[in-house]
Amino acid sequence: MSAPAILTPDAPIRPASRAPRPRATVQHRGAILAFVLPFGLLFALFYLVPIGYAIYQSLLVIEREGTFGQAREVFGGLTQYVLVFQNGPFWNSIARVLTFGAVQVPVMLGLALLFALLLDSPLLRGKRFFRLAFFVPYAVPGVIAAIMWGFLYSPKLSPFSNITENINFLSADLVLWAIANVVTWVYVGYNMLIIYSSLLAIPTELYEAATLDGAGQWRIAWSIKIPLIMPAIVLTAIFSIIGTLQLLAEPQVFRSFSSAVTSTFTPNLTVYSTSSIPNFNLAAAFSVVLALATFILSFAFLKFTQRKEAK
Amino acid sequence: MQMKKRAVAVALLTAASVALTGCATTTSTGGSAAAGDCKPSTGKVNLDFTTWIPGIEDVVAVWNKENPDIQVKVQTGPNGNGGTYQNFFNQLKAGNAPDLGQIEYDALPNFRVQDGLTNLAACDGVLDAKKDFVDWTWGQVNFGEEDAVYAIPQDAGPMAMFYRSDLFKANNIEVPTTWAEFATAAVEVRKTGAYITNFSQSDINQFAGFVWQAGGSWFQNDGTDWTVDLAGDTSVKVADYWQDLIDRDLVSTNPPWTDEWNNAYNTGAAWTWNSAAWGANSIASGAPTTAGKWSVALSPQWEEGDNAAGNWGGSSTAVFKGSKHPYEASKFALWLNTSDEALTMLNKAANLYPAAKSGLELPALKEGVPFYGDQAIYDVFAEASAQVSPDFVWGPTMTQVYNDASDGFKAAVSGNGTLTEALNATQKSTIAALTAQAIPVKK
Repeated sequence: MSAPAILTPDAPIRPASRAPRPRATVQHRGAILAFVLPFGLLFALFYLVPIGYAIYQSLLVIEREGTFGQAREVFGGLTQYVLVFQNGPFWNSIARVLTFGAVQVPVMLGLALLFALLLDSPLLRGKRFFRLAFFVPYAVPGVIAAIMWGFLYSPKLSPFSNITENINFLSADLVLWAIANVVTWVYVGYNMLIIYSSLLAIPTELYEAATLDGAGQWRIAWSIKIPLIMPAIVLTAIFSIIGTLQLLAEPQVFRSFSSAVTSTFTPNLTVYSTSSIPNFNLAAAFSVVLALATFILSFAFLKFTQRKEAK
Repeated sequence: MQMKKRAVAVALLTAASVALTGCATTTSTGGSAAAGDCKPSTGKVNLDFTTWIPGIEDVVAVWNKENPDIQVKVQTGPNGNGGTYQNFFNQLKAGNAPDLGQIEYDALPNFRVQDGLTNLAACDGVLDAKKDFVDWTWGQVNFGEEDAVYAIPQDAGPMAMFYRSDLFKANNIEVPTTWAEFATAAVEVRKTGAYITNFSQSDINQFAGFVWQAGGSWFQNDGTDWTVDLAGDTSVKVADYWQDLIDRDLVSTNPPWTDEWNNAYNTGAAWTWNSAAWGANSIASGAPTTAGKWSVALSPQWEEGDNAAGNWGGSSTAVFKGSKHPYEASKFALWLNTSDEALTMLNKAANLYPAAKSGLELPALKEGVPFYGDQAIYDVFAEASAQVSPDFVWGPTMTQVYNDASDGFKAAVSGNGTLTEALNATQKSTIAALTAQAIPVKK
């Protein structure tokens, strides 16, 4: 999963406030500009411009004359997008990561929530140790983690070869879940930390009141903690959905030692393979469609959870 | 609560934009050096050279010492299809490609179609160098055009069979000289618990070498159109042969270039490898405990008495479009690939088999190699080299061909479909890929 974005609650992309509030800070305009400028500049340079360039590239097609004729990029409208929608392997790869996410994300977040609640409960000893222990895998770069697990799964070379020789974790049936295991291993601690920090923000008076009312730890966790940290759980869920759709490093590493991982295993691998042809225009169109799909899916999830909350 | 939701929404927007930026390529198109223009630069020149030859740094150090005014900086990376070509294409698109790069013959048309190569014909001494190189390798770099030279040939990859002579002997199995005998021997070897060889699911260029030996060719270019023939009769014959060995569990199907694969050779679980001259280096480094137990013989033939060899790999040194110093770059490339001292060092460090005719007479290529029981293995490759047909043509999208065929081969060794089906699917996807790039192709 790709690195999570830094939370930027006051990013300038937020549309103007809908409540008409009088603004009295006009005299600080210069200062505001000075503070926003560094971020705004980098944001434009490294987010907006590349996105614009990708969209622009996706609208071009190649023309040339003769077998080695010089290529000209000309405007082709939505030609590349038509190819994207006709591309079977790409949609298969989307279906594959959705299957992956439907299983892996709940498992990972369930574990993260469980660990966070354990860390937060007065029952557990050695909290500092466990907090670090759960978080350490996140410090291992994703590629290294994939290589390491690749060794553990390897039929002949694994330290557990009496298992891996009988169950081939790198086969077509299992490799998706073998990768899911790697991703879970890496990201459980990270998600746990987000949920845990949100648990720490709950005022302790609530627990006191609950204890006075006779609630045990289970009851407190279920009826107080989980409802209060729901926004954090939703946040981790959205990060995970985005990360799932963008799976690249792990399958890319697994591709070299598993017969089951093809060059179009995940949507991002498809983009990578397409750009290595090199067909940058089609790769750009894939990227735009993937980003839109990611956006729609995450937003739908957000709306869904909000509506549930409102009920 | 509302605030938190909004924070989530903003984070979402930000993260989604990461999705896009992560995939976007960088700006601007490549610069261009006018064709036919190749003049020396004034003053000291620095050249960048990207390659994946092990030990190349020492060779370049010799050049740098002798040529203080033309300093070459080496950068090494993964092998071409393993990532370096992708970098090259990205760099060409971004206009910051290195001056020189290693490109295998099979990838040259791909780079030429993308307008990534400088025609060196006007550079001093380049056209004259034609006579110095083995004929078919020169044909790979000039695409059959008289006034064009798109790269300087470096090495060739004539294929032969590496085999564990000790194991064949100890088990009283004849070393096969035809593919029919190879299949029979495979049965015998399997009885000992080992495999005669490993079928590579992702070295499609090795498979191309098998087809090359059998007399096939995958592409033709008549000047107006490309013809794609990945699933012709010869290819199907070769595919059916290997499919049969896979189906009978007579060859292993480990993914190549992995530790698992090395381990199979290191422990005697695989006995032969049909590979190129440079493969001598791969075995010696991947299976060090088997030193002295290997020998090299000519590849098995399709018909008894035939004399055909395939070719796998072999590289050239190309000057990329956008280099400001094609004159100096071509000087270095010629030295690297024709001078006795460079060729000797490349052979010692990486077992490269020179494309230069003079290189074939090097004393280093007449010596016995200790890892191969002191056999003079390059004599075998010299014989194979003379048997390589010059008629095999590479297509302009080989990275795509390799990816697609490999996807199909991977499925086939996992029991989904066959090698022939994989070739048929790749035939279709290749024509589609050419069409998408507006490269004229006969359908």
